[in-house]
Amino acid sequence: MLLSCLLLAGCGRNPRMDALYAQRCINCHGPSGQGDGPIAASLPVKPPDFRQTVETKSNAQIRRIIAHGRGTMPAFEPALKPSEINDMLQMVRFLSREGRDLQWWEKYDTLVAAHCSVPWEAVLGVDDPPEAKKP
Amino acid sequence: MIPLLVLVLVFALVPQAAAHPEPPRPAKLQRSVSNQAIKNFTLTDQRGQPFESAKLKGKIVVVGFGYTTCPDVCPLITAAMRHVQDGLSSSEKSDVYFVTITTDPEIDNPQVLAGYAKRYAVDLTHWSFLTGNEALLKPVWQSFGVKATRKARGLVDHTALTAVVDRAGVMKFAYHGTAPEPKTILADVRELLKGAAKP
Repeated sequence: MLLSCLLLAGCGRNPRMDALYAQRCINCHGPSGQGDGPIAASLPVKPPDFRQTVETKSNAQIRRIIAHGRGTMPAFEPALKPSEINDMLQMVRFLSREGRDLQWWEKYDTLVAAHCSVPWEAVLGVDDPPEAKKP
Repeated sequence: MIPLLVLVLVFALVPQAAAHPEPPRPAKLQRSVSNQAIKNFTLTDQRGQPFESAKLKGKIVVVGFGYTTCPDVCPLITAAMRHVQDGLSSSEKSDVYFVTITTDPEIDNPQVLAGYAKRYAVDLTHWSFLTGNEALLKPVWQSFGVKATRKARGLVDHTALTAVVDRAGVMKFAYHGTAPEPKTILADVRELLKGAAKP
């Protein structure tokens, strides 16, 4: 129980996530992840609204997009640590839930949400490819 | 114990109140007519092969500066250059070459550049993505009047420059800003192709 509490207590949005988002994402995705950043209108394809796309994607799918890029979105893996990519992933999840009404929350499976909010990588280790784990 | 768990779950699910940082506004585009001779250079392309600028003599060259993990101006510059490439006729394409020069050699090795090029689906028969060590890149940046300052790993402040260089290796047009206008660049390229660049 104590372990569960400790794990869940570490799931909150933190300044590190905000700083990463402000540095690397906000120009395209916008302050609240609605795809309305200052350069969004100039991009060939409008960035997605996280509230419409993130819910249907797994953490692995989102992590892959952040790490390897998509279209004009940069691939951040060469520059960021796995923990920073996980911070971005968590931030994307947080933004995708902002501004939801009660009806949406009632439909949303809280247990799934809780599962997604646990920083499993911090608990179980980051799922780096096998070759990266070799000394 | 159960209420405590519920409380912790709620804490975990509800995003913490955090002030949204305000994104910077994009700078307005500035087009200028230039007459800056570009010094020859040798860098490395996205295949890991040496790339000598001397081989560009006789072609109109569209040059863009940026880096692959750039979160603001570079996607717009590369996308605009891709639009220019798409706008060229097949006969024009053989006379126009595109070059993207990194401003972040720490991250942008040939493999990373190749991945970047693939995402933009550019025609690599007429486009090279170039890198090198900082000692090799700095004179190239200076030749074009580009400044690059590393802020963090994968984060570089740099001059947002797209340029058009004529057949003799002289920079004729410079576009400073976040969103170069493909139509304007294409018109300038066509003027140079005709052999008479009008300001």
